[in-house]
Amino acid sequence: MSLAQRPRPEPDRDSAPWWEAVRRHELTVQRCDGCGTLRFPARTVCNRCRSRAYAWVPARGTGRVYSWVVNHQVFMRSMADEVPFPVLLVRLDDGAEQGDDLLMYGNLTGGDVAGLRPGLPVEAVFVDFDEETTLVQWRPAG
Amino acid sequence: MGTFRDRTAVAGVGYTPFSKDSGVSTLTLAVDAILAALDDAGLTVDDVDALATHRVGDSTPPWVVAPALGVPEVSWYLDQFGGGSVSHSVVGQAAMAVAAGVAETVVCYRAINARSEFRMGGTGRGPAPLFDTQYQAPYGYFAPPQQFAMFARAHMNAYGTTHEQLGRVAVGQRASAVRNPRALKRDPITLDDYLASRWIAEPLRLLDCCLETDGACAIVVTSRERARDLAHPPVLISGAAWGGGDSLFSGAGSGVDGTDFTVTEAARLAPRLYAMAGVGPGEVDVAEIYDCFTYSVLVQLEDYGFCAKGEGGPYIESGAILPGGELPVNTHGGFLSEGYVHGINHIAEAVAQLRGTAGDRQVPGAEVALSTAQPGYVLAGTSALILRSDP
Ligand SMILES: [Zn+2]
Repeated sequence: MSLAQRPRPEPDRDSAPWWEAVRRHELTVQRCDGCGTLRFPARTVCNRCRSRAYAWVPARGTGRVYSWVVNHQVFMRSMADEVPFPVLLVRLDDGAEQGDDLLMYGNLTGGDVAGLRPGLPVEAVFVDFDEETTLVQWRPAG
Repeated sequence: MGTFRDRTAVAGVGYTPFSKDSGVSTLTLAVDAILAALDDAGLTVDDVDALATHRVGDSTPPWVVAPALGVPEVSWYLDQFGGGSVSHSVVGQAAMAVAAGVAETVVCYRAINARSEFRMGGTGRGPAPLFDTQYQAPYGYFAPPQQFAMFARAHMNAYGTTHEQLGRVAVGQRASAVRNPRALKRDPITLDDYLASRWIAEPLRLLDCCLETDGACAIVVTSRERARDLAHPPVLISGAAWGGGDSLFSGAGSGVDGTDFTVTEAARLAPRLYAMAGVGPGEVDVAEIYDCFTYSVLVQLEDYGFCAKGEGGPYIESGAILPGGELPVNTHGGFLSEGYVHGINHIAEAVAQLRGTAGDRQVPGAEVALSTAQPGYVLAGTSALILRSDP
């Protein structure tokens, strides 16, 4: 794995706290103080009630596979030794009942591409790149 | 002329505090200024149907601001590249949109951290990366074939769409390109050729992808009256619509609703477009549909109303979009086989069809054409035209 050569995340001023939490191996989302809606990715306003007040709250760290790709083409030379690799789009279990619609990307780790199917339960895994960066990846739950 | 003067008005203004270090993102600045301006006008976000800004890689575009605010439907937007010299054109173009009746209430904004983040002349932090990139690129996910593969898989998951159905788009468009002397790819292909082509990003293969192309194409627009005195019979612009825009996270057309990658912004745009043109999908004789990838054609057949949601695959299998079918699609071969000039060559082909000058690939008696843009999955929403021959 050439993890160290991957593109690094460039946090913005809204997302910096999220990336800091990931660095501590904590998965968080924003919760609107105005209406309770959960929010990700990071923004400072709620698009339902337009409140600017929110808190960072722990996420369950579980979700379901919504879609995925298996990448074969070498789009980036630094990842040439990783192809083919899967990229998942996961809908978090948090807020799913009330349609809060929290989606996160990540690679599949500790699972087989052939086992991927829509709705597959997965759980978050924290992978440390180096002294500065940690990424959230996903593995089949249980 | 004379249709513009005094027809539009400024109804509200709003500010954030000015400082040397706002401490917040340009998205937050934009949101705060817009909410203040709406408040000043006695309006709310629900009254907004258009957004306009300019930037030089240093700010947050309408397609991030609109879903962040929860704007219900964006029927027009402007994301103008440029600095101070274009600043007043933003309001001028907003006024044109209102005067033309394509938007009712436009918020114009400029949000910059011109001291604490991006300083003019390239000092300070470099241009901000796209909003979504930080959450995707570290996983090796950033290229358009990967994005459209993700959307195609979601459609397969929901509706059982098959590789063969996607392949029939590529095979059919190549058959059209064979009749187009301008096309880059003119060798016929079969479904077996398609299925044998290598993976790029599963579920998309090489032959699902458009041709990276060097080239240019241009279009002249003038009044109908002037056009009638010129070299060709006029091709009338009956409808032109654009809008929407969401990040890849919130999904196409889903600023507030749940993410559903099987529906694109085109589904919200289509009713506005058809109403403006005074026609429905049943009256479209030929369609040039944005085909960066085969799947883009399939989903737009649904979203522009040629078949029901989820029925794009069977509709393609029926042969409807082939030459001689009920709705010939991408009669020039499209980006997949003619070449990829980012959309304008679709418009040019629609014009040729309506002029009746498309040669071996002419759709007999074509009077109404639809030409569409990237359907809103990536960056700034979508756009489309309905063109017709001068009756
Ligand atoms: Zn809220």
